[in-house]
Amino acid sequence: MSLLTLDNVTIRFGGLTAVDTVNLEVKQGEILALIGPNGAGKSTVFNLITSIYQPTEGKISLDGKALTGIPTHKIADMGITRTFQTIRLFPELSVLDNVKIGAHCRGKAGLLQAFTRLPSMKREEAEMEENAIKALEFLDLDAKKEDMAKNLSYGEQRRLEIARALVSKPKILLLDEPAAGMNPQEKVVLMEMIRRIRDTGITIFLVEHDMKLVMGISERIAVLDYGKLIAEGTPLEVRSNKAVIEAYLGSGKFKSRIRR
Amino acid sequence: MKKLLDNWLVQFLLFLCVLGLTAFITDAIGDVLPPYLLMIGLFIGINLIMALGLNLITGVTGQLSLGHAAFMSIGAYASAIATVNYHVPFLGGVLIGGLVACLFGIVIGFPTLRLTGDYLAIATLGFAEIVRVQFTNMKITNGAIGFLGIQGSTTFPIVMTIAVITIILMVWLENSRNGRAMLAIREDEIASSAVGINTTLYKIQAFAIGAFCAGVGGALFAHTTTFIQPTDFGFMKSVDILSIVVLGGLGSIPGTVIGAIVLTAAPEILRPLANYRMMVYGVLLVIIMIFRPYGLLGGVNLRKAVRRAFMLTKKKQAGREE
Amino acid sequence: MPILNNLMQQLVNGLALGGIYALIALGYTMVYGIIGMINFAYGEIFMFGAYAGLVLALTNYVNVYTALLGATLITMILGVVIERVAYKPIRRSSRLSALISAIGVSIFLSSFMVRVKGPNTRGFPTLFENRIFEIGNFQITIYQIVIIGVAGLMMLGLHLFVTYTKMGRAMRACAQDKDAASLMGVNIDRVISVTFAIGSGLAGTAGVLAGIYFNAVQPYMGLLAGLKAFAAAVLGGIGSIPGAMIGGIVIGLTEILGITVNLSEYKDAFAFAILILVLLFKPSGIMGRKANKKV
Repeated sequence: MSLLTLDNVTIRFGGLTAVDTVNLEVKQGEILALIGPNGAGKSTVFNLITSIYQPTEGKISLDGKALTGIPTHKIADMGITRTFQTIRLFPELSVLDNVKIGAHCRGKAGLLQAFTRLPSMKREEAEMEENAIKALEFLDLDAKKEDMAKNLSYGEQRRLEIARALVSKPKILLLDEPAAGMNPQEKVVLMEMIRRIRDTGITIFLVEHDMKLVMGISERIAVLDYGKLIAEGTPLEVRSNKAVIEAYLGSGKFKSRIRR
Repeated sequence: MKKLLDNWLVQFLLFLCVLGLTAFITDAIGDVLPPYLLMIGLFIGINLIMALGLNLITGVTGQLSLGHAAFMSIGAYASAIATVNYHVPFLGGVLIGGLVACLFGIVIGFPTLRLTGDYLAIATLGFAEIVRVQFTNMKITNGAIGFLGIQGSTTFPIVMTIAVITIILMVWLENSRNGRAMLAIREDEIASSAVGINTTLYKIQAFAIGAFCAGVGGALFAHTTTFIQPTDFGFMKSVDILSIVVLGGLGSIPGTVIGAIVLTAAPEILRPLANYRMMVYGVLLVIIMIFRPYGLLGGVNLRKAVRRAFMLTKKKQAGREE
Repeated sequence: MPILNNLMQQLVNGLALGGIYALIALGYTMVYGIIGMINFAYGEIFMFGAYAGLVLALTNYVNVYTALLGATLITMILGVVIERVAYKPIRRSSRLSALISAIGVSIFLSSFMVRVKGPNTRGFPTLFENRIFEIGNFQITIYQIVIIGVAGLMMLGLHLFVTYTKMGRAMRACAQDKDAASLMGVNIDRVISVTFAIGSGLAGTAGVLAGIYFNAVQPYMGLLAGLKAFAAAVLGGIGSIPGAMIGGIVIGLTEILGITVNLSEYKDAFAFAILILVLLFKPSGIMGRKANKKV
């Protein structure tokens, strides 16, 4: 069953077509990886899904509900959260606060509750804290909950970003190069973690460069090159796909070098 | 005991006790303090209320505003018109001052908060200049000549009680869902909207509350000096309030308190320097920024520091017992 | 055609005023472009320039050129000293602390001038005879010609400097990426000093021109002029040199226009009203590049 659907999605920046008529379905409960050479438009796809960019043409929908035209801040509430290619935490806040803010869309308290501190608000706060600590435990960060986010190591910061995205219990989690900058051991731990997240019922859609990781955990892989989807299939299928090999290694012909 | 403290009613009563105590103590202090010192204390309180509002906008939410004096002047004039022309009681006038300023904060906030960083700063500065020129040319404010005959109803206990209320509400706000959303916007706007924070909404909330505080401060100011004129609320007034916030430590409530005390008292303490006073004041600002670029209490987590000090004494005691 | 003549007349007046704003705005925009800081003390440097010109003019030995040159040199040195003392130590901290430091400097400078020269407005000695030329029905004074001429020449000079010299190229590189420029062997400290020197010199020149034009010098004259020039810089798109020139002239013209339509009580509000209006439709100013949302 398709959870997230990209239907003929195109975006142009001036003369550049960054994403070109992409059709893609993310199925409920799967781990799907989007790969492609640098500048292929992978992160742009994520930015389109989270409404940071609006597609020039085409439609994106989650569970049949259209996402196009919806402001970014409502996307999380609909069940899509993400991490960023360059880590975007709230650096001067504590680890716990970072995760609590991640659950913002699940809270209801407004100004009145903040100023009156009625029991209902305190219950919500307690629940939020409990969920946040659970998310931190899940990603093995609970020991650091009082630290400032900026003082964490690189790998920990990546994990904190995932914890922040998980705490609102999304339907689908978008991971933008989660393994970037990690050492081999950390990557193994990360793979394990991604699988465990999926096992809790959250669909995973990730962009990644590290082929070992991608081939290791993805059930399906989609390949983007110059904004176009050139292949889609199981890791095995994609690995032997001619177009993919050409995109990554070049066809050896002069033509492909000057495609730009 | 802990459970009892968690009870809402108990907390509410505690809150009232704190206010009552503040009023009582400040009233007693007011009886012994010489009028000159009392006046300084009063201005510390007024500046603190306004600075706490700006701290929410600039320190917590990260939106640089250079026009806080505009909201102060709106509050001052609105309350003065209410009490003098319409015979509204003093505290009602203060409330009106806050509300009118808040309203302007929202109206101005909607279009301008789309701007970021320095563009927002200059837009708020421009707004403040426009407000000042407008007040200079209005009949009801008596233009450049100034608004006369305001009752001197502001007292030390009233100012201090309002200041304490503001502090408590600000602490509560900072530890709520709304407050965290505002902090998140300061830290990273794109990440904030990715986790579902409506950045415009919370910026406007911060702006509205900040403007309300400035309006209340302005109203108290008007009913202290009994005479206000547009030049009281120029760019330098906005700068005064901003300096309190930055000097105390952006986003830090205790820092803002210290900043308000230091910067309100400094020109008075420097008074013996006579003609050199403002020169020294300027140099002082530069020096503090060089040695404490994040403000006097910037980067200091007070709760953590207190806890650490507490642990240390505990450890020492334990060591001694051994 | 009285309307046309009147319009021409206001255009000339607006250009002269705008030229002064544009000169100050250039300083704001250059410093902002390079270290991303709002140097609020520029208004006071402008005031300092006016006083330097005044003092020089009162010595009786100087003509208008030496007064201009002298004031420019004095403010250049002042600008560099301010940067070294008050801004360099906090270059790596938050921009707000730099802003407060700049405000401290401007409070110091204006109160220093009050202390030394008194708080009162002073007239400017006549450095050269003002003459009025009548062209058709509108008039242009020599003062206006000088202001427009000097402002124009300085802007042209600045443009040539930034575009064609090695230092200019280093400045543009720093504006793009300071760290990268530094790795390529650009001496950042020197670039910043030169930027401050040029910006302050321009403000100082503007000060003397304003002193001559309005025949009035006053310790607090820098505040409003500085704010309006800052508005001009932002209006044009802060960081952009042509933007600052356009912004300055737009602000000058609007102000004169406001006076012409009999709203002179509101003249100080016009600059800011125009600024806010432009920003609402073009959030990064007229010539400002649209900041790309990088994710």
